[in-house]
Amino acid sequence: MDELILNLKNQIIEALNLEEITPDDIDSDAPLFGGGLGLDSIDALELIVILEKYYGIKLASPAEGRGIFKSIRSIAEYIEQNRTR
Amino acid sequence: MGDRISITGYGIVCAIGTDAEEVLNSLQSGESGIGRMRYLNSRHSELPVGEVRMSNDDMKAALGIDSGRMVSRTSLMGALAVREAVSRIGQERFTGRRAVLISGTTVGNMDINESSPLPVSNECGRSTEEIAEMSGLEDVGTCTISTACSSALNSIILGAEMLRRNEADIVVAGGSEALSVFHLNGFNTLMILDRERCRPFDGTRAGLNLGEGAAYVIMERNADDAAAYVSGYGNRCDAFHQTASSPDGEGAFLAMSDALSMSGLSPDAIDYVNAHGTGTVNNDDSESQALKRVFPDCLPEISSTKSFTGHTTSASGSIETVICILAMQHGFTPASLGWSVPSENCIVPTMGHSGVRLNHVMCNSFGFGGNDSSIILSRSADDAAVLPALEDLYDVCCTADEKVTSREELAGLKEFISPMESRRMGKLMKAAHLSSLRALKAAGIERPDAIVTATSRGMFEISRQFLSDIHTGGEELLKPTLFMQSTHNTIGSALAIRTGCHGYNITYSHGEDSMKWAVRDAERLIRTGQAVSVLVGSYDESTPDFSAFSERGGAEAPAEIYAESIVLTRVIN
Repeated sequence: MDELILNLKNQIIEALNLEEITPDDIDSDAPLFGGGLGLDSIDALELIVILEKYYGIKLASPAEGRGIFKSIRSIAEYIEQNRTR
Repeated sequence: MGDRISITGYGIVCAIGTDAEEVLNSLQSGESGIGRMRYLNSRHSELPVGEVRMSNDDMKAALGIDSGRMVSRTSLMGALAVREAVSRIGQERFTGRRAVLISGTTVGNMDINESSPLPVSNECGRSTEEIAEMSGLEDVGTCTISTACSSALNSIILGAEMLRRNEADIVVAGGSEALSVFHLNGFNTLMILDRERCRPFDGTRAGLNLGEGAAYVIMERNADDAAAYVSGYGNRCDAFHQTASSPDGEGAFLAMSDALSMSGLSPDAIDYVNAHGTGTVNNDDSESQALKRVFPDCLPEISSTKSFTGHTTSASGSIETVICILAMQHGFTPASLGWSVPSENCIVPTMGHSGVRLNHVMCNSFGFGGNDSSIILSRSADDAAVLPALEDLYDVCCTADEKVTSREELAGLKEFISPMESRRMGKLMKAAHLSSLRALKAAGIERPDAIVTATSRGMFEISRQFLSDIHTGGEELLKPTLFMQSTHNTIGSALAIRTGCHGYNITYSHGEDSMKWAVRDAERLIRTGQAVSVLVGSYDESTPDFSAFSERGGAEAPAEIYAESIVLTRVIN
């Protein structure tokens, strides 16, 4: 799980171009939207691309992402259960 | 002193017909033009589209153009629609008069450019020049507006302004946009394309279907053979988000309110609204809130004809304006096809009526970044508003002028915007923000009354990256971050979001003349008393391969970054 979380943080930093942030700066349990990192709807679409690109998980709509993208940990848990690669 | 702005000619090409008569028949018989892809060569053939039912060769034959000539579908459709419009009044009507063709497009000649192995730039203005030439209007002035999906309606609005200020005697205005693999994939990354036929305002709606087409109207002052009249219009900015509309539809509300106020009509005088109604969850919710605010007592009949044509993006404003003219002339309201389930937050659209009298109708057109516009059309001269002539009341001065021309300077942006906020911005977007925020600071203005932007190639580097990803990745796993800032209006609308400016917002993309048109518009706003301060900017960028390509062709290499922002203000005597 720790390795998956670290990989995921690095993939998010790259995809969202979070230039001045390191994996250590991101709290795995903090909310990603609203507070915490303060991501928005376009970032959510980028997270959907990450799920497909690295883990072979295809979401049908942004609405599906809402329950999954609460925190880094919640995404990692979803990936563990649903990954196809 | 005032004038009736008469619409004397019109022409239309879209999925439900290649002239006004065919479009009328489809509207009255409730036949949608949305279906399987025939001409667009995309891997996403599962997506329904509203294609014009003519091949490029069919169009060249209809226009009498050499079949070997390389010309974009955007230009071909545009020329067909302009020719139809001109044929209704006769070419001789242009003789000896000050004429201008104003065309709206965003994709421009992308259908050709996207398959070229060369690093060609996507200059919207080229398609306008081609349309003028192919439709026999070589001698008229040309102008191109690019405000994403409201481009064509903003072209009509500019035309009306030019007539009211006596800058022209006859204006051809509208827009054209062909389907492209580029923007089909772009909308796909935003996950707003419905896999089935779109259902605007329906409780089960799941997005839009892209369409294509072109439409133009011809406008003159006080012509006695008019098909309809322009009684009011508004151009505002939602200033909320690059790709989403605000929950209360503020920009749409302001645009419709401005149009009503100009027309002098009360809300209950509007007999029908042709909504923007794309079929996305967000647009239809937001537009419904705005409509309920504009029409608090009783909603008029409302429908979205995108259920017939698909979302014709930059051309939608003029295509739907022509549909409104046909509806008024023939006394019917077009249906909102596909609607069956009420949606909690949405208006209930009409399923269409015949045998009705429509004296005044409203047409909405909204674009990415919140470039929201609305127009009111009237059926007869007796009903039409007499719009006061725009007279010059004030002088203009330039109170600030700031330039950013190198990558090194971009570090200065931190003074205004955090790295987290600027993380998605390409280099030109950063440069435009830096020069604009410096200029506003120098002028002592936090929020200008209006924002007018000029760009020839737009966000070129990011668009090239997105196109390259399409080719290398086989139309899969593309980045929404790239597409969302690929439209030419992305800078002007991002500046509106940054400054909280809900005022007039427009982007000119007409090659080297872009800034000339932008300054002219900003000066018009100030001289005629419509704005006190206007932020005007000229923004363009290049890529190493494009610069090398330009130099090989004997041209001067374009600058890597060029951002110049000026603040124009009313002179206080």
